Amino acid sequence: MGKFSGVWASFEYLDETTEAIEKIRKQGKQPQVLSPCPRHEIDHALGEPQTRLPFISLIFGGLGCLTGYSFPAWTASDWVLPVSGKPIVAIPPFTIIGFELTILFTAIFTLAGMIGLIVIDTFRNPLPKGAKKYPRFQRDRFGVVVSCEPSQTKEFEELLKAHGAEEVHVENS
Amino acid sequence: MSEKTLTYEQINDELLGMLERPHPSYFLLLLGFLLALGLFVLSLAIQIDVGIGYSGISHPIGWGVYITNFVFWIGIGHAGTLISAVFYLTRAPWRTAIYRGAEAMTVFAVMTAGLFPLLHTGRPWLAYWLIPYPNQRMLWVNFKSPLVWDVFAVSTYLTVSVLFFMIGLIPDIAIMRDDAILKGKKLKALIFTPLSFFWRGTNHQWLHYMRAYLIYAAIATPLVFSVHSIVSWDFAMATLPGWHTTIFAPYFVAGAIFSGLAMVMTVLIPMRVVFGLEKYITDHVVQSVCRVILFTSIIVGYAYFSEFFIGWYSGDVFERSIFYFRPFGAMKEWTLLGDQSIGFPQVAFFLMVFCNVIAPIPLWRWKIRNNIMAVWIICGLINVGMWFERFNIVGSSLQRDFLPSAWGSYWPTIIEFGITVGSFGFFFTLFTLFSKSLPAMAIMEMKESAHPPMRKETHG
Repeated sequence: MGKFSGVWASFEYLDETTEAIEKIRKQGKQPQVLSPCPRHEIDHALGEPQTRLPFISLIFGGLGCLTGYSFPAWTASDWVLPVSGKPIVAIPPFTIIGFELTILFTAIFTLAGMIGLIVIDTFRNPLPKGAKKYPRFQRDRFGVVVSCEPSQTKEFEELLKAHGAEEVHVENS
Repeated sequence: MSEKTLTYEQINDELLGMLERPHPSYFLLLLGFLLALGLFVLSLAIQIDVGIGYSGISHPIGWGVYITNFVFWIGIGHAGTLISAVFYLTRAPWRTAIYRGAEAMTVFAVMTAGLFPLLHTGRPWLAYWLIPYPNQRMLWVNFKSPLVWDVFAVSTYLTVSVLFFMIGLIPDIAIMRDDAILKGKKLKALIFTPLSFFWRGTNHQWLHYMRAYLIYAAIATPLVFSVHSIVSWDFAMATLPGWHTTIFAPYFVAGAIFSGLAMVMTVLIPMRVVFGLEKYITDHVVQSVCRVILFTSIIVGYAYFSEFFIGWYSGDVFERSIFYFRPFGAMKEWTLLGDQSIGFPQVAFFLMVFCNVIAPIPLWRWKIRNNIMAVWIICGLINVGMWFERFNIVGSSLQRDFLPSAWGSYWPTIIEFGITVGSFGFFFTLFTLFSKSLPAMAIMEMKESAHPPMRKETHG
């Protein structure tokens, strides 16, 4: 986990949080936000960030589909068991296996992808220790974290206070 | 008061309040379910020890109460994913209050259902033979068999339901962790920290999380419809009168949603009363579920009618006879066998029609939908009716196929009764334990649907 240097603040109100986020972004910094639930207002303020997760799901879903068709086809060809002249490699019944494995692979790898992406982002964007220990971000408070040089902390501290932050903390760990 | 007017703090405290030390009556209820679970375990042990011959299953009735239970419980398991996935995609706001409970029900119902095919194999310790794995002689399962489709469908459904359930729980366990920290409960905080996957609620986490949730909803939607379709093909792929029909997939899916939602109401209405959750599981929520129950009841009723109509319209003597047999018993010209009496299949048929088609009719009235007790009784009847619908399908066709010389009759033994009653004990024990150990209502999603705290009140 990387070291943190910067400012973090807690907010009671969502509108003040989003205003603070927009102001910080105008200063050229991308803040991190903590919230008890996802809010589209925060996404708008942060500039609609996107995730690569759907690509992971799509790739592994495709792999599942391929496995679902090719595996039964291979086993049927490996041990040929002719029944009433019916096709050995039969597409309609294998479609069921193909469908189920598409879903299964997508589900497992979407979860793995989500965990992986979250871990990467957590390492890229370390949180200050104080914010980690603050127990109300899951409850009823919004948090804004600005990672910056020690020389800039004063500026962001004032900005956050000006936008109605309840508590503002400077941290260099 | 609607959920919109609730504050984050209020939602947090009130819903976590459900997890506080239970009332002695909770333990009494749990004891009742544990006794039923004990019956289940005992019956299972005897059945496995003695063998499948100890059940009433014998030629030509190869599928009895066990497969009935399997289909019934898989059906019950459909409501959770329907509510958490389909209603999520269709943005039905009333789903928020009931989805967690319904999803837990799904997981427990599929777990219960999964036991039955294993038991039904007769030698459950060899059930792993159903999974394709590289064995000594490189023999593979038959992927063209509906039984193997079932293995794939049910195991995928269980996996996806469990993962979906777990994903939904992560932010709520983080809420529990922080609540424990605030109240100075160190041990609880220590337990919940790894269980919450170190969740902090940062914008990065929410971004990936919400997208994962959407993807899960998107893949779980076709899965819900596929699972019971595939279960129905266990029957429809067989060339047996009464089973070999194309209507089975939609008929089973509608029945599954119907029974699942009825079970959701059966479980959540007492929970609403006991925990005082009227603010969350509002009358509007109950009304909405009732409307879906009513809608699926019509589909199920239509399917019953259509089966009979096609049986008659096909002109096929075997089809006609099985649909005569289901309500009325043996036809007169076949009374030489002395089997004219109204038996279990006929009782099952009339119970099925009464509970699934006639009993839900009062729900058309707004007053009835608004009467919590009436809704609970109707939903209870639907549960009974749906079990008998499954039995009606499984039992009757096998008793009467093409050759009168191959006919037979079936009556479950005491062990089968024990296992059937006990399976409810298994399900309700798990649900009762869940309701006091994890949030039975999605706290995070309730907050999401509430009006956020604003300094300047612009709207809402």
